[in-house]
Amino acid sequence: MEILTKPILMTELKPLAEKMFGNLVKAVVDVEREMMALDGEFHSDLAELLVENGSAGNNLWGIDIHPEIAGDGWLEFDSMINLKPQLGNRTRGVDDSAIKEKIIRIASKFIKK
Amino acid sequence: MNYQHQNAACGQWFKFSIFEQMGNIGSEVNRAINWREQSPADSQAATERALELLDLTLADPKNRGPRLKELWRVREVLTDYFYGDNQYGSTDQNWRNYFDAFAWAAALQRKF
Repeated sequence: MEILTKPILMTELKPLAEKMFGNLVKAVVDVEREMMALDGEFHSDLAELLVENGSAGNNLWGIDIHPEIAGDGWLEFDSMINLKPQLGNRTRGVDDSAIKEKIIRIASKFIKK
Repeated sequence: MNYQHQNAACGQWFKFSIFEQMGNIGSEVNRAINWREQSPADSQAATERALELLDLTLADPKNRGPRLKELWRVREVLTDYFYGDNQYGSTDQNWRNYFDAFAWAAALQRKF
């Protein structure tokens, strides 16, 4: 598990995916501090890492990164930590389009194709 | 044994509440459903991860007692749905509804 401090290439994620789940790497994005942690077994592990680093739980959103997918499907919004009844997010996805766009922007900043 | 969830298999899983356990299993079931058409191989991998976590949940000492019967039934009906003839008449939405309830409970308990 690591909190990214600089961009990495999508190709660098492929061995991480193969090592754990085969086709995906789990990541958590802090939309307030614009940070990202990845390569955890569970999104909650990555969220805990970021919280210990100073993030607030309400700003953390879980995604799956698919290194083998070239188009739009490389980033999937699917995580238990996204269920935030206090913010009105009642699914494993991200219902708020503004937050979704922020997540995509931050993830794209760190993951270079 | 060759687990995809290595740390979970080494004991971390037992630290999760039943809500977190079932919620995480539901995440894999959700992936298995979502990927069924686009990528059967990825769907299969997610199904296997769901069963892996369900088996760890069944092995968790704190889940012995009245809860165990339901967990074994979940395993039977899940494998019937993904590997068998769906004799129990499950649907994608049934599974989502079932596991989402646990994920919701976990979210209400979450510290952050």
